[in-house]
Amino acid sequence: MSISTLFENYSEFRHRHPDGDVPHNPYKWAMAIDLDACSGCNACSVACYAENNLPVVGREKFAHGQVMHWMRIERYWDQDGREFPDRGARYLPMLCQQCEAAPCETVCPVGATNHTPDGLNSQIYNRCIGSRYCSSNCPYKVRYFNWWDYPSTDNVWPAEMNMQLNPDVTVRGKGVMEKCTFCIQRIRGAEIDAKTQGRLVRDGEIQTACMQACPTSAISFGNLVDPESKVHKQWRAQQVELDKHEQVKDEEPGGTDLRGYRIYEWLAPYPSIMYLERVRESEI
Amino acid sequence: MMNSDFDRRDFLKVLGWGGTAVALTGCGNGMVESGKETVVSYVETNDYMVPSVSVYFNSTCAQCDAGCSITGRIREGRVLKLEGNPDSAINRGKTCGLGQAGVQNHYNPDRIRAPLLRTGNSGEAITWEKAYALIDEKLKGVSGNEVAFLTGGMSGHLKVLLGNYMDSIGSKNHFAYEAIGPAVVRAANKKSYGVEMPRFNISKARVVLSFGADFLGAWVSPVNFSQQYAQFRKGADGHKRGVLIQVESKMTITGANADRWLVVRPGTEGILALGIINALDAHGVNIPGDIAAAVKGYDKDRVSRDTGVSAEQIDKIADILKERTPSLVLAGSAAEGYAHGSQNAAAINLLNQVLGNVGKTVEAAAVVPFPQMAPATGNTAALKALNDGLSAGKYKVLFSYGSNPVFTSPAAMKFKDNMARADFKVVFAQYLDETALQADLVLPLDSALEDWGTQIPEYMAEGAQINILQPLMEKLHADTRGMGDILLALVKQRRAEEYKPFDDYYGYLRAAVLQNKAALGGAHQADNDIFWNETLSKGIIKLDGAQHASLSVKSGAAGLSLPEPSAIDAQYPLQLIPSVNASLRDGRNTNQPWLQESPDPLTTIVWDSWMEIHPKKAAELGIVEGDIVEVTSKSGSLKVQAYIFPGIHPDAISIPLGRGHEAMGRYAKGYGVNPFQILDMVYDKETGELAMHETRVKISKTGERVIVVKDEGPVGGNQEGQKIVPLMPTDKANLSKEI
Repeated sequence: MSISTLFENYSEFRHRHPDGDVPHNPYKWAMAIDLDACSGCNACSVACYAENNLPVVGREKFAHGQVMHWMRIERYWDQDGREFPDRGARYLPMLCQQCEAAPCETVCPVGATNHTPDGLNSQIYNRCIGSRYCSSNCPYKVRYFNWWDYPSTDNVWPAEMNMQLNPDVTVRGKGVMEKCTFCIQRIRGAEIDAKTQGRLVRDGEIQTACMQACPTSAISFGNLVDPESKVHKQWRAQQVELDKHEQVKDEEPGGTDLRGYRIYEWLAPYPSIMYLERVRESEI
Repeated sequence: MMNSDFDRRDFLKVLGWGGTAVALTGCGNGMVESGKETVVSYVETNDYMVPSVSVYFNSTCAQCDAGCSITGRIREGRVLKLEGNPDSAINRGKTCGLGQAGVQNHYNPDRIRAPLLRTGNSGEAITWEKAYALIDEKLKGVSGNEVAFLTGGMSGHLKVLLGNYMDSIGSKNHFAYEAIGPAVVRAANKKSYGVEMPRFNISKARVVLSFGADFLGAWVSPVNFSQQYAQFRKGADGHKRGVLIQVESKMTITGANADRWLVVRPGTEGILALGIINALDAHGVNIPGDIAAAVKGYDKDRVSRDTGVSAEQIDKIADILKERTPSLVLAGSAAEGYAHGSQNAAAINLLNQVLGNVGKTVEAAAVVPFPQMAPATGNTAALKALNDGLSAGKYKVLFSYGSNPVFTSPAAMKFKDNMARADFKVVFAQYLDETALQADLVLPLDSALEDWGTQIPEYMAEGAQINILQPLMEKLHADTRGMGDILLALVKQRRAEEYKPFDDYYGYLRAAVLQNKAALGGAHQADNDIFWNETLSKGIIKLDGAQHASLSVKSGAAGLSLPEPSAIDAQYPLQLIPSVNASLRDGRNTNQPWLQESPDPLTTIVWDSWMEIHPKKAAELGIVEGDIVEVTSKSGSLKVQAYIFPGIHPDAISIPLGRGHEAMGRYAKGYGVNPFQILDMVYDKETGELAMHETRVKISKTGERVIVVKDEGPVGGNQEGQKIVPLMPTDKANLSKEI
């Protein structure tokens, strides 16, 4: 194989997950987030704390960059030199993009982070040795390291607060990396239920915690290989293809009127989250 | 009917159905259950709990007064998470971050666990029996008008019980106080539309013009409005995507989502509203003669000069409002916070009238037909009245529930000192907050996830509904009580006979609901137990046949007079905008760590307070991010870190409310500053409400500098040329193609 062949067929070689001729059968979990609906309210983020046993690190550790929010809202301003941001702000819910060719996976010395057959980028806590290479390599900076043993840290989960911990989710100790799992406990629960009943998971059966809380229903989640799922239809309507790092629609002269895009798509991590561009009225 | 012989009318009043012509079933209500379940240890199996399988119970969120219905996930007897209940028209299955944190209010380690009686400077734990006896004793020899009862907004059977208790002690001094409620807007709405709180159909509007109404943040019913907003953006009924224009002096989260955010000189919102009416007139919209005459002087050049909004922009707003109907104009907290707040709100409401929105996007809300239970909304005028009374030594016994006035009143009001003038102060609280610390007797409350209750939201989304609160798990602490149980015990001290049938508040509520079964949708259900369980299971009583209030549109031009924009005060040149964050609001939820660590949506700051200042003003004063500045008003001063923020008028600064606690708990105490403390006591001229935005300040650098603890990175909100959050203009986007 020559280098030029490798570059020409880059996406084919990069797209390694899962192996085999029939990828993602029967599930490929994916998301679409409508930034025109997202108001930046943070409800998703708090819901994630509640669902996934995220520790509250406190002021000092937050200042040291040790916050553990798997779902965070990024806020951007227009950079056009105007005196006031009279087009408002721009909000972005940022979470693990569950990349198909995840840059974090290839650098893990112990294979603690790897790909599941249903298209999740998973993190095996008890295999993780805390090298943090994955976090360095993540273009989205959505991996969070346990610098402290939060369960035994004062005022993280003091008596009574610990009763709120979700028994379906591990409480992580010092020295391991963690990140958004697409609420894998909810996914596995539904997959197992479906399997016992001899059927596939129905669209809408799984809601991630962030999606369930979202007051503007900006987040949709579902099985990308199910042609009846909302997520599949959204991706299709936006002509965003999972295994491409350049979309055909973006080649159109004058640009596309479709809002779907993926962040850092050109890096070819093949993220599983499609965002829909924020819109602003032209006539005002 | 029952073992007592008081008459039926009294009985209705006792149960909260008084003052109404509602159909009552007339049949007996049978036995009243105690509501106490046997506690079963998990070593014995039971048929309603399977280890590792979650069960779900419906209740009502009590983190704010919007009345969102929630579903609690319970496993092995512990409530783990709250989700929205999809059956409620208010929140339709959704929750906000504040609502999510309800479990942290419940499991909070700083809850009070036993009644505390003050002895000198310390509190001694006493029994409830002793506490009740003490209250009884202290009320002896005190006349009814010497007793005052301070609460937050109240509704449902709790309000009924409180009303009956106040009646029993012969007191009319119930003060309902909300520090940041939309009290001026309520009064203005009453004048403009005939109702205090109409329904706002954001989803049906094609343009929303909001004057400082933070409807996506903390205003009235944000989860309902957020869902409507999402529909509005998608463009319902074949319409194009809705357009949001937000007018305010400090950007709120709603402003951050606007298509056009217009910064106005603080206090000139009403002038801009009249200027837009004037421009609509010029654009050929048919304006009633008297209104046209009233806005005659508000030509766009003058309005532009007064408000700072360009004449071109005023024309554009008039154009879009004329073209795209129906629209919706909202008057919010930022517009009402002035001495002329009522006039501002009236001028803004007038826009809805001239645009023909009343009856379309401003509609009459459904009304729960039980006036005794209707929400008693709070305001700051009530606190002022109470404070004046305390200061004059009128009240010997003070009760306080659901508010924290020592924290939320301006220091200049001297509420803490005046409170001390009452001989006996009883505070019902979950935490030892600033007000509880001043009490003689502190009575610990159940959390909202342990308590029973009914609630009627002020903002009714669709049909009328009564929300049910029920315990989602066993009580965490043996010695806390629900407020309903406490009031029942207190009212029994006075009217033992009437309340004898009810062992506890649960029994009272059950009897009340069953007594009025037919009116509550239970006519078909003969079996009381089944109906009661159905009601609890749903968590909502929908009153399908409830009447809607009727709107009466009055021309509001008469009596409108807006002051000229105030000149800059040489000594105190900046306007202080105390901002309301959707999570922390008036500070009652600050001890919930998820909320402390949830970044402010505008600045991304956590765990601390800050002062927002425009880059231009900051450069002028030589202030950079993290500088500790002293902010001084006529009434006080505080020191706070500066944050350079483009979304604010250069002649204003903003400090968020809710932080700066000196008590309450480990997650609240000692974080940030409390701007309530330095507010000047200026009141709205018509309603007497505290004008929250009327404080003028000066700032000076202290020379100290800190690193601001925030979520945004070192480059602030800059995408550095990357396509992270691109924007698409509407003339390009085609939303109709979308799923």
